Amino acid sequence: MQLIFKIAWRNIFRHKGRSIIIGIILFLGALLMTVGSSVISGMDRGLEKNIVNGFLGDIVIIPEKEKSDNILFKLYGESVDTITNYKDIKKQLIKEDDLKDFLPVGKNVTTVLNEEDGDPGFTMVLGVDFKEYCNFFPDNFQLVEGDIKNGEGKQAVIKQKMVENQETGIVIPLKTREDLYDQMNVWLIPEKSRLVEENLSEDAKDNRSELKIKNTAVFMGMSSTNSTSDIRLTVKGIIKYSALNTIWGHFAIMDIESYRKCLGYFGASEKLDIIDEEKKKLLGLETDSIENLFGSTDVLVSDSGNVEVADIDFSKKEVSVVPTSRNGSSTNVDLEAGVYNLVFVKLKDNINLEDGVKRLNSTLSSSKLGVRAVTWKKASGFIGSMATIIKGALFLFVAFLFFVAIIIIVNTLTMAAIERTTEIGMMRAIGARKAMVTGMFIGETSILSGLFGGIGLVVGIAIAQLIPLFNITSENDIVQLLFGGDTFHPFLSMGDILVVIFELIVVTLITVIYPIIVAINITPLDAISRD
Amino acid sequence: MNIIEIKELTKNYPLGSTIVHALRGIDFNIASGDFLSIVGPSGSGKTTLLNIIGCIDNASSGSVNIGGVEITKLNDKEITDIRLHKIGFIFQTFNLIPVLDVLENVEFPLLLMKNRSKSEVKKRAESLIDAVGLSEHIKHRPSELSGGQRQRVAIARALVTNPDIVLADEPTANLDSATGEQILELMKEMNRKEKTTFIFSTHDSNVIKYAGYVLKIKDGKMVN
Repeated sequence: MQLIFKIAWRNIFRHKGRSIIIGIILFLGALLMTVGSSVISGMDRGLEKNIVNGFLGDIVIIPEKEKSDNILFKLYGESVDTITNYKDIKKQLIKEDDLKDFLPVGKNVTTVLNEEDGDPGFTMVLGVDFKEYCNFFPDNFQLVEGDIKNGEGKQAVIKQKMVENQETGIVIPLKTREDLYDQMNVWLIPEKSRLVEENLSEDAKDNRSELKIKNTAVFMGMSSTNSTSDIRLTVKGIIKYSALNTIWGHFAIMDIESYRKCLGYFGASEKLDIIDEEKKKLLGLETDSIENLFGSTDVLVSDSGNVEVADIDFSKKEVSVVPTSRNGSSTNVDLEAGVYNLVFVKLKDNINLEDGVKRLNSTLSSSKLGVRAVTWKKASGFIGSMATIIKGALFLFVAFLFFVAIIIIVNTLTMAAIERTTEIGMMRAIGARKAMVTGMFIGETSILSGLFGGIGLVVGIAIAQLIPLFNITSENDIVQLLFGGDTFHPFLSMGDILVVIFELIVVTLITVIYPIIVAINITPLDAISRD
Repeated sequence: MNIIEIKELTKNYPLGSTIVHALRGIDFNIASGDFLSIVGPSGSGKTTLLNIIGCIDNASSGSVNIGGVEITKLNDKEITDIRLHKIGFIFQTFNLIPVLDVLENVEFPLLLMKNRSKSEVKKRAESLIDAVGLSEHIKHRPSELSGGQRQRVAIARALVTNPDIVLADEPTANLDSATGEQILELMKEMNRKEKTTFIFSTHDSNVIKYAGYVLKIKDGKMVN
């Protein structure tokens, strides 16, 4: 073995030009693979961190009727189905050992009516209980305009305004405000605040003299399954998400009761009562008379007339909805009694995502709660798949690169084998077996791979470590996706490094096969004939 | 005692559309310790005969027995072992391993045998290098040696495993006459010292005088 490596090592130096060509190819391959892996892993990790900790949680519970798991970026106008039994779901989720926390939310698209006779605007909204939301995502956005004196721009301000003061309203991300301005020519600012000139978009600055500034807007839900209504909401703050702002910035956040009114869902102020036959008779709601009126045994009454029936199971008992609050105020009401669209779930740190979602789905399925759990990757559609897609693209690119590299290396080594016919033939003549010739070629290629590929790997690791020091940031949506956040932060795991090493080994073995075949078929007679 | 016994040896090979009859029924025996020269003009078949004896080429028919082993029926691995253990080679163009120095080149066959310790290998190689007069060049690479010096290294390497036979195909062909004579003197001396059978081919009549026995060959046949 020592002899083989001695000959291999010296042959590398003897054929410097060839060795350098092969070495450079291996160096570039390893470097590209290492840096590429670090970018992908950084993106994957960044996306996971920013999506899980900043927007969705690990798992999203969605209505079972939803055809697609991708509920985050559905086509405009396509509404997410409803969850009307959150309290039952909550009871089940509390029992689950895997879960750290969960948060019910509404998620849909709203039209923003233009009161200036212009075009309407559109925005995606989340309907949340702000107190719960701020507990679930304690630091996922900052207040950039609004009452920022006390809270220094932290979520605490919003929490104080909307939880402790029990206010209704909406917080709007910078991105959404710019989009709404582009659509409606209206610049929204928070209540009790002044226009912040430096926050104006370029278009708004150009149009400064004719800028229409408002601190309220009328939102109207968009739903494909039920009627919606419009609601005027005060802008409580302009926010910036802590990460992926240009993507999450499409989502405004409003209080859940306003959201429900906007989307035409049952609010918490509308209590769902099951009325037995005796009460029904007393109320004059006998089945026959109802059937005569509606052609159905189901009795639904709401103060607002905004009724969502899609997910209520009326098969066993006849039910009626009786409003408990005529003014629709959310004061002192059980918010969880109303309609939601999704439940965000965070897993405990030691729980594997796929295992967790599998176990949760098993529970949800056996409990017949009409919902299913999907991973954040599936729920966030193309965003969650970005890492996988880009990883696949990188793999194909690297595979192509390695394929070309393999051809070049195979060709070079084969030429080397033929050039060394005399030497190899002579070795065979004096007693070297084919195994030794094989070992010599593997040794040479392994040394080149180990040396140049190793340098490529080390340089790649160094680059991956150095890039974050430059604090490269981007405001561009696509670039942010590639970065996995606002900042470019490549990351290399031990697994990534092992994959690069494995690929180098595979390349080494593949490249050496054909030259070995050529070399071991060289006979002493070939050497003599060549002489 | 015969170290080599050859009977009815023929070698034919195709050359384009024709068949070349390189050897046409060779019969002879070589005794252990002989210093034999195979002579004949170019194309007479002497190199082919030497290659078959050296297990480098296959016979078309006939029998070749080396040290009691019929080599015409052996597989590649067995043939390789015969070459390693029983035969030493000295090639026309001093085929040394260019990346190894003199000592390493001579050690090479011993290291392939894997039956001696490193120190034994080194000691044996050094003694042969000394015997061929290259002790001062022990760390030199082949490219740093003259033609004659390289051929001395080849002789040392051929003898290092203590083979039954050393085959030398025109060992002086690429050397000037003075150096060629020195090499033949050395081979003769080694033949005496090591009791190794030497067979060398040549078409140089000046070289023939060194041979103990001469086997003349012409058109693939032995000539009396």
